[in-house]
Amino acid sequence: MTRSLIRLVLLLCAALLTLTSCGGSSKATQHTPLTVVVNAPFSRSPYLGRTIENGARLAAGEVSANGIRIGDKTYDLRVTTMDTALSPARAVANMRRAVGEHAVAVVDEGTGIDASWRIANSAGIPIGVVFEGGSQIVDPVARPNVFRIAPTDHGIAFRLAEYLVPKGLKLALLHDDSDYGAAGEQALTLAFSQNRSSVAIDEALPSDALDLGPQVLRARRAHATGLLVWGRPATIAAALTAARSSDWNVPVFTPPTGSDPFVRQQLADHPGWVDGLTFASGRLTAEVGTGPFLTFEQKYESSFGVDRVGVKSSGRAVIVPPESAMYAYDFVNLIAAALLKAGSTDPAKVTAALNEVTTEGANGDQRAFNRHNHEGVVDDDIYFARFHGMIYVPVKDDPLSATLPTLPQTR
Amino acid sequence: MKQLVLAVAAGLVVAASAHAAPPAHYASLPSPFAPLSPSPPLGGGATSTSEGFRHHIAAKTSVDVSLDRDGSPFAVHATQRLDVRVLGDYFFTIGAPLLDVEAAPGSESTPGLRAASILWAGFNPGHRVLIARSTLDPAAAAPSLPLRVEVTPGRVTLVNTTGVTVGSYTADALVSPLVQYLAQLRRQVAHGQTPTSGGAYVTSKPTATGLRVLVPLRIRGTIGPRKVDALVEGDRLTLRADGAVRLTVTPAVPERLLDGTTAGLSGRRLLERAARAALTLARMRQYQTYLGNPDPTGPNETTYVYRSAARPLPPPVAAVVTSKRDWATTIAVAAGLLLATAAALVVWSRS
Repeated sequence: MTRSLIRLVLLLCAALLTLTSCGGSSKATQHTPLTVVVNAPFSRSPYLGRTIENGARLAAGEVSANGIRIGDKTYDLRVTTMDTALSPARAVANMRRAVGEHAVAVVDEGTGIDASWRIANSAGIPIGVVFEGGSQIVDPVARPNVFRIAPTDHGIAFRLAEYLVPKGLKLALLHDDSDYGAAGEQALTLAFSQNRSSVAIDEALPSDALDLGPQVLRARRAHATGLLVWGRPATIAAALTAARSSDWNVPVFTPPTGSDPFVRQQLADHPGWVDGLTFASGRLTAEVGTGPFLTFEQKYESSFGVDRVGVKSSGRAVIVPPESAMYAYDFVNLIAAALLKAGSTDPAKVTAALNEVTTEGANGDQRAFNRHNHEGVVDDDIYFARFHGMIYVPVKDDPLSATLPTLPQTR
Repeated sequence: MKQLVLAVAAGLVVAASAHAAPPAHYASLPSPFAPLSPSPPLGGGATSTSEGFRHHIAAKTSVDVSLDRDGSPFAVHATQRLDVRVLGDYFFTIGAPLLDVEAAPGSESTPGLRAASILWAGFNPGHRVLIARSTLDPAAAAPSLPLRVEVTPGRVTLVNTTGVTVGSYTADALVSPLVQYLAQLRRQVAHGQTPTSGGAYVTSKPTATGLRVLVPLRIRGTIGPRKVDALVEGDRLTLRADGAVRLTVTPAVPERLLDGTTAGLSGRRLLERAARAALTLARMRQYQTYLGNPDPTGPNETTYVYRSAARPLPPPVAAVVTSKRDWATTIAVAAGLLLATAAALVVWSRS
């Protein structure tokens, strides 16, 4: 009896010891959350919104696996999404909410940034724009909290001019009346200001028009030998439809929106119409080859699945490489590096530290900002790719593009 | 038969002398490449994030030093031109105590500014010229300049500040390999090649010693009306001169060490000379690389220009109107007022 009592007491002691040690361990690994807000058009441009969110979540998950150690605390990054619905007013309201929720950073598509940056700046919160490329968005002096990892309109326009002018084309510069199209018009006007002889006509397109036949016809009558269409994906699809349905096989050039799945989805019944469409965008691979980007893509797909375009190429399903996701991923990683560099979670200190850190981007390139430049994609990194059979291949008649490998785009 | 006897005799002489010679051991000479102090290059030098290949870069830097009346430097600007070859991406950081940086005319890209480095990033289509004009923190940059100018009435002293004492060794050594190594260094310098390390065959136990190394400075220009064209191989040069200083300084090859006759010198003397030559070349390379080159084996050239200049006046301080009254006066006045009020109340109550 006494022996069994002793045994019982010992067992109870062991159980208590285990329980207390369990409690201690959970306290030691407890992470404090830091909020990263993704402000993107989830309802109006779902693919774009989702891919930005996924990129941010992927990076946040990786960072949080080990946590960010600052002082005697370990922090996690938690992602919260807010829908702008492409409305500047909603984007501004979202930014107020982000400040109210003490966000440490905001990953932003770019809508409404001209108003929302002040709200974030008053709280010292850094904003990473990962889609819109308007030149007014980023200004390290006037807007010290705004950073961007996406090709700039300025860079795209100048690279397009550099690529197209020597070809001797007479270009119709078509842009839609969205914010994106208007910013593109400004950039194109500047880029072609020294080569006006290469421009046949400048034309504004209504972004909600289903038929752009009259505008494209005007371009044809102006003897244009190339169309440079700067607009949302729907505008590009409509311009292609107008040209090809009138048997005008004119070469068409676009900014990165030309590679948006929406264009191919709209023209799925006429895959030949997409052939030859050439777009400019930020390179997805680095000098080291496709390795880093494919690794990132694998991680992305295993977490969120494959983004299918909904069309086929040579009988196989075409997928979308996670480009905007890559930019959001890189920005969140820079935020993590800046938190460590700052040694503080004070957003203002994190903003200052963003000027001093470098990380390796998802594509193997270095991602960095500095005090003079808050652009994470340099103009030199803009390349050109051309569609054939619903997938695109880097062109061979441009020095940078010629060095780039083709990414697998079918499954 | 006579020939055979002579051959045997000669063989015996060689064998005897070989037997008499002490054994020689190989010992490395100091590197003509490794820096002898942390700076220059400033800020830890330059780095290149390689993506599997190396850019070939020639660096040319001009350092403008503005001097006060007494010769103290109060502003330092550096303009660095990087001539980058090999197609591909680049990401360079050039360490420096920066106050500001901007692209200089002719640059094909714009430099980025960080607290302690210049940042270059982009794609090189095969040849790209990157030129940055940096404003350096004079307090941090001046100690790494090769020359200090001391101005006193009627006299200007040019102080060679490249001197450093480093550890070396001394020993008896075989002459021939050292003569060959000095010739090799001379050839490499003449052809603009990076000098390579060498060694000596020592025949006695090496003893540690310290060597003071100084880079000869070629100084050209004017001090007031006086023309200056001098090679400062010692610690200082004092000139009778007065007026504005305008001097161009370039680190010079230690010709006396490389080209001087070796005939008749003992192995020990030659060893010291070879070590000194290698160390001086290493030191010279440091001053040719005031700002780092991302290509560690790329050619570097730095010219230092010293000019007398007027120190910018500090902005005028806004006049602040201050009251002359202090707390004691204020309290006394308040107390006086209170007493007066109390007295007035008393008078009023009795009236």
